[in-house]
Order: sequence, then structure tokens, then C-alpha cells
Amino acid sequence: MAATQAPGAPAAARRRLLPQRRSAADRRNARVGLAFTSPALLLVGAFALFPLGFGIYISLTNWPLVGPYHFIGLSNYTSLIHDSVFLQSILFTLKYTAIVTIPIFVVGYALAVFVRANRRGTTVFRTLIFLPYIVGLVAESYMAVVELQPSSGTANFVLSKLGIVSNTTAWTVHTGLATTAICILVIWFASGLTMMLLMAGMQSIPTDLYESARVDGASWWSAERRITFPLLRRSIALSLIISVVGSFLAFNQFFIITDGGPGTSTVPVVMSIFQTAFADTDVGLASAMSVVLIIVVGLITFVQFHYLQGDGD
Amino acid sequence: MASVRSSQQPGARPSAAGDPGARRPAAAVRAGAAGRGRAGGRTGGGLAIFIVAGVLISAVFVVPLLWETFRSFQPESTVTNPPSAASFSHLTFANYTKLLSGQDDIIRNVMNSLIVAVLTAALTAVVSTMAGYGFGLFRFRGAGLVFGLVLLAFMIPFQAVLTPLFLELHFLHLLNSLIGLALFYTTFNLPVGVYVMRNSFLQVPREIVDAARVDGASVTRTLLSVLRPLVLPGIATSALYAFLFSWTEFLGALSFMTNDSLFTLPVALSNVETGTYGAINYGLLLAGAVIAMVPCIVVYVALQRYYVRGLVSGALKG
Repeated sequence: MAATQAPGAPAAARRRLLPQRRSAADRRNARVGLAFTSPALLLVGAFALFPLGFGIYISLTNWPLVGPYHFIGLSNYTSLIHDSVFLQSILFTLKYTAIVTIPIFVVGYALAVFVRANRRGTTVFRTLIFLPYIVGLVAESYMAVVELQPSSGTANFVLSKLGIVSNTTAWTVHTGLATTAICILVIWFASGLTMMLLMAGMQSIPTDLYESARVDGASWWSAERRITFPLLRRSIALSLIISVVGSFLAFNQFFIITDGGPGTSTVPVVMSIFQTAFADTDVGLASAMSVVLIIVVGLITFVQFHYLQGDGD
Repeated sequence: MASVRSSQQPGARPSAAGDPGARRPAAAVRAGAAGRGRAGGRTGGGLAIFIVAGVLISAVFVVPLLWETFRSFQPESTVTNPPSAASFSHLTFANYTKLLSGQDDIIRNVMNSLIVAVLTAALTAVVSTMAGYGFGLFRFRGAGLVFGLVLLAFMIPFQAVLTPLFLELHFLHLLNSLIGLALFYTTFNLPVGVYVMRNSFLQVPREIVDAARVDGASVTRTLLSVLRPLVLPGIATSALYAFLFSWTEFLGALSFMTNDSLFTLPVALSNVETGTYGAINYGLLLAGAVIAMVPCIVVYVALQRYYVRGLVSGALKG
């Protein structure tokens, strides 16, 4: 028992003394390890990595949903540059992401500050504030459809009583109004997640740092600025990336609330791909769009990891 | 076990006990209003302000959900007319009975959602546990590469591989298949599941594994009898994430299911929204959205500590 408990040097010595037995154990370990990890590798290979490669392949063809296809090189990519609906969807998605990211972060940060201390009530508040995220945007988008109806929806009822809009405002048929409504819905939905991620990071900061800052006479704000922000960098980056990537991949709320309308003015990138593939059945072009999307999302994620690696601890 | 337990504790907890008792009231109130002062609990005013603020803030996030639940019990005519005092007195189950018995046959869609969500949760739990065991306790050549490949799925947004995946599932006869949908959901839940499970196995004290070996337990028996209870929280976390993901997922189900009778609930509701089955009925839509919402809330509230565990371990990643 003593031998098995001693790690490090004795194990290394044993390996030198008994090379053959060790390598037999290694082989057995390798076999068992591979056997247990292979189902995961098989699934990821079949339903994530293969489609990725297959998608790149298809993007170089004129693949229709049914029928023969042939290689057309980079034609799909060059035609994307002139595809006004796709370009518009990229611009719209960028605009939407730019609008919601900062409010989600600011609201989420404020909420995290509010619930981070372990005091009476905070657990309940955390749970309640996080519920919109747990319920999911799909069910909430259906609810929003009902409540954004002119003259019968609760949104107009409340806002017209406050004198902000008229009771007959048709939210979903105006680009600006529809985008505003969806942005408010998403900020309400997603701030809870940012709160939870930032709160987890804040709770891992040693409290004696705040104690000594208080003893030194630091104000609440300067403690927040000098201690919380620098030590929270990883959590801040993670929550921002999750939020930005999520916004970039938005689909459900637009499909349900506006269906991209009026016209194609609220079509996000993923909906543009979805329509090209399944409505226009131009699978080659849709795959080229997907590759562009993967590159953009990959760049965002890479910047995140780069930023986190550079943290130096 | 001690190391497992302590890693679950929020960092702030231990130091709260060591909080100095003597503190000037002004500082305590200020700190309490800012939300950080742990001494706030000792001053009645600070606590009251905190509770009131907390209730108001929580209301912003919960009242809309409660209001929609209330609205789903209003007759359809009330839902589509301007709100009035009378709308509060007349409540009915009509939307629910119509939705669950009419030609819409939403029960079938609810069952589809349930089957896929349970299957996804079970598959994710089993595959992640096996992989976590392999990565956590067995050193083998290529382990890093395999682990990297599994985590790579985390970097691939499933929204961006839907088209090739559609064709692939078509070739494999897994389109319009609840099993095909569950395999797809499982795959994209594996990065989180495998990550959580590998960490769970790494936290198991080495002596326990060695003792089981010395006692002659096989690799599989060690996992099933000795280690399973120790990594159960991790299994719960993986299964919970997978269940909630599957239950609320929309785009994949919309793409891979073309047969109405195989739609999951979120997709079936888009037919209710557009009135595919007849006139648009917003009462039915609200009732359906509430049916989609309730299981999430029940499952989350019952198992939230496992959910938060996953968030914390995810946040510490990187």
C-alpha cells in the first residue's frame, strides 16, 4: 500500500527498473483508455467533424438538395460577395450583436454584484433572475408574439398607459420596432447567464483582498476597479464571448417573432443559411455561407482563448 | 472526497465566518447597499433594503413569466382583445383542453420532446462518463489528441453544420428520426459533459482506484461499483445540461424533422403560431408555450446546484 501511495520519484525509478512490465501496463492502459473514450470520439467524429469537412467539400460544388452535382471551385464564395440578402444579413447580425452585447454585460455585471455575497435571500434571487435563461428563448418568443400584437398585447397596453407608444403600434411589421422588441427580450433573457458566470468568478476572488482594501480606506468603486476587474478578466472574457457568439448565431427569436420581415430586413446570418439550404435548395451556396460563419465564430473564439492564455497565471 | 467537497464550495463562504463583528454602522450600511457587505445582515435596515431591492429585481425577471402563465388561462377571446378588468375574473382551462385534445394533438409532440430529451440526457451521461473515465484515469498515447478533438466540437457551432448534417442524416436514414435527433443533440453536449466528467474522475483520490484494483475489481467493475457514487454529481450535471438543451432546442429539430407527427414541442408550436391547423389561436399558443416552460423550471429548481457546478467548472476553464 505504501508503494502505491508514493507518487513521483519512486514510480519513475520502478519504470527504469522494470521496463517490460511497465510497457505492458502502458499497452493495457492505452487499450482501456481508447475503448472508453471511443464512443465520444465516434459521435463527435460522425456528427461534428465529418459534417464540418463535408460542408467545406459541398461549398466547392453546385450541390442541389436532390440530383447530380459538380465542382465549381470557389464560385459559391465569389457569388456571396454579390449576394445582397446574405450581406444584409451579416450587417444586420453585426448591428444586432453590437446593440445587445453591452446591455447584457452591464445588466449581468450589476446583477452579479448584487447576488455575489452569500447572505439571506441571494440564493432565491439568483434562481429567479436566472429563470428566463433556463426557460429558453423559444417559449418566450412565442409569448412575445402574443404580447406584441397591436391593441390586444400587454406590451402596447402597458406602454400606451405610460404614454410611450400608441395602443395600435404594430411591433413586428416595422424593422426598427421589431429589432427593438427582440433586443429587449434578449437582454432580459441573457443577462441572467452573464450574472451567473461573473458571480462564479467573483466568488473565487479571496475576500481578504477586499478586507485589506477596506482597511487602506479604499472606496467601494476603487476596490471594484483595482481588485475585481483585473482578477475577473477570465470570467469577463468568457461571458462576453458566450454572449457575442450567441448573438452571432441568433435564429429562434427572429424566425418566431418576425420571420425575417418586413421583407428581409431582420434576417440574421443563420436564417439566411437556413433559407438558402431548405427554401432555395442551394446547398452549395448555403455551405459556403456556413464556412464563412464558422471562420467568423472561430476567430471570435480564438481571440478569446488567446486573451485567456495571455493572462499569465 | 475532501478535495471534491471543497471544490464545490463557493469561495466566499469560509471567509464569511471570519468577518469582523465590530464595524461602524455607516460603513456597514454603505457596503450593504452595494451588495457586498456581509455585515449588512446584522443591521436590520441594510437587510430590509437588500430584500426589497432583491424582490423588485427578481420581479422584473419572473413577473413576465407568471403573467404569461396567467394569460394562458384566459379564454382565447380575452387574449386577443384589449386587456380589461373583466379579463381577470374569467379563467378557464379551455386553451389547455383544446390544445391537448384537438386535432393539433400536441400530446404527441410533448411525448416526442420528452423522448428525445430523456434519450439525449441518458446518452450524454453514459458516453461522457465513459470518456471521462478514460481521459481521467488512463494515460495513453494520443489521449491529448482525442480529448482535443472532442473539445473541438465546442468550437463548431452546430448552426453552421446543419446543411451537411442534413444530407448525412438523410444518407444514414436518420432524418425524421427521434433517435437521429438525440444523437445530434448528444454530440453537441459532449464537450461540456466530457470536460465535467474528466474533472470528476481527476478529483477521485488515486488510492481508491488502486485499492479497487488490488481487491481484484476489473476496470468496468471499478467504474460501476466503486467510482460511480463518487462521480454522480458530475453525471447529474452532464445529464441536466443535455436535457435542458434538448428540450428547448429549435433550429435542429426544425431542420431535421419534416413529418408533423415527429415534431418536438417547440417546432409544433410554430404550426400553432402560423395557424397551420386552422385559424390562428393565440390562447393555444400561450398554453403551448407554458407547457414548454414548466418542465425546465421544475427540473432546474430541483437540480440547480448541479447546474451551477457546471457553470463554475466551465468558468474556471480556459
